[in-house]
Amino acid sequence: MNLERIPNEEKLSLCRKYYLGGFAFLPFLWLVNCVWFFKEAFVKPAYTEQPQIKTYVKRSALGLLLWVTVLTTWICIFQHFRAQWGEVADYISFTIPLGTP
Amino acid sequence: MVVVVATIKSVSFYTQKDGQQLIYTPFREDTETVGQRALNSILNATIMISVIVVMTLVLVLLYKYRCYKVIHAWLFFSSLLLLFFFSFIYLGEVFKTYNVAMDYFTLAVIIWNFGVVGMICIHWKGPLRLQQAYLIMISALMALVFIKYLPEWTAWLILAVISVYDLLAVLCPKGPLRILVETAQERNEPMFPGLIYSSTMVWLVGMADNGETRNNSSSSSSSPPPQQESHGDFALEDDGGFTNEWVGQQEQRLGPIQSTDESRREIQQMASARPPPPDDDEERGVKLGLGDFIFYSMLVGKASATASGDWNTTLACFVAILIGLCLTLLLLAIFKKALPALPISITFGLVFYFATDNLVRPFMDQLANHQFYI
Repeated sequence: MNLERIPNEEKLSLCRKYYLGGFAFLPFLWLVNCVWFFKEAFVKPAYTEQPQIKTYVKRSALGLLLWVTVLTTWICIFQHFRAQWGEVADYISFTIPLGTP
Repeated sequence: MVVVVATIKSVSFYTQKDGQQLIYTPFREDTETVGQRALNSILNATIMISVIVVMTLVLVLLYKYRCYKVIHAWLFFSSLLLLFFFSFIYLGEVFKTYNVAMDYFTLAVIIWNFGVVGMICIHWKGPLRLQQAYLIMISALMALVFIKYLPEWTAWLILAVISVYDLLAVLCPKGPLRILVETAQERNEPMFPGLIYSSTMVWLVGMADNGETRNNSSSSSSSPPPQQESHGDFALEDDGGFTNEWVGQQEQRLGPIQSTDESRREIQQMASARPPPPDDDEERGVKLGLGDFIFYSMLVGKASATASGDWNTTLACFVAILIGLCLTLLLLAIFKKALPALPISITFGLVFYFATDNLVRPFMDQLANHQFYI
């Protein structure tokens, strides 16, 4: 999809849909939103819909950052304490590495 | 293809013969005599091919009678399956290979994100690069499944027969794929999403009759002054021919543990020469069917999995396929018609594989043994 070719209103609505979609536990969607609309929001010369696109991109970036921190903390906690938690850890593990206690 | 080779090399899951076969290949290959094995593999291949043919015909019929909903639902469902289920299995195996712990929560988030964004990109609107990446990934997944679940001789036979079928189906006037492409042209309609890989974006301008939408199809055009495309790798011109690749789908049943169906796509590359409607704002790129990707990857993957010559053979097949693809694109430029993408590349690939495996390998070994460097 070539962003060059679609009119501004559609760009806005697309950005908005991606932003709203990200609330369904989809930080990846927010990432795509940020990257894709980055040029539109910040690099291009101003047009009427641009401020709104900017807000959406900024909020997506914020949400993305939040998710990344949450996930990273959880992963660190899990990897570190997995062995110590015993049964509970085994229960929530998808794969269990061999050889480590 | 690189992804498939890398996976085959590292994850042994895909090369283990755990005895399961797809329901479409009911004949076993570990039989006693060579003759029986050959017979079984021929039968297997015949069954697979006939299933493919039937599915293609069904698809063409559906298209002709405008049962669009059915087709869309089918495509939707199969891409859903691919994106979620197969990537789930794939990730699981990769984690097991690298001995990494993973909890269900993180896994769920990853798979959910991957799948949903994939569905959005392929079936709705999304950035072009991402869509291409997704299509490549699902083709690779498909190829991996084939490599695992098809017995040896059957796989090679299938590759050979598919290319012949491809040739026939596209070029013969009565071929189903040709009918499909022509019908699509008559109705001025886009090809379905999720079946075709395009290297540039094709755009629909909201015109009443003339507009054409294509979702990510790459079509190569023959005479190409470069247009003002920001994306295309290939320079395209509007009045060049475009190639469509058609994908037919096939349902296969996996081994007894999973009762899911897997769809297989067969893609044909077609180009039709057509002058564009004058006020149509279209870019055409090169369109390659996903099935082509799948079979190329399958060939290279099988080569790396089973060849005694290891990297030599794999590289040779790789090169062969790429050369075949370039030749095909060249022919496309010359003929400006729908062309099958499989035959040339697969033929080269197969020839190179068997030649390298049987001839080059012993040669190199002997050289190394005698410390004789060329």
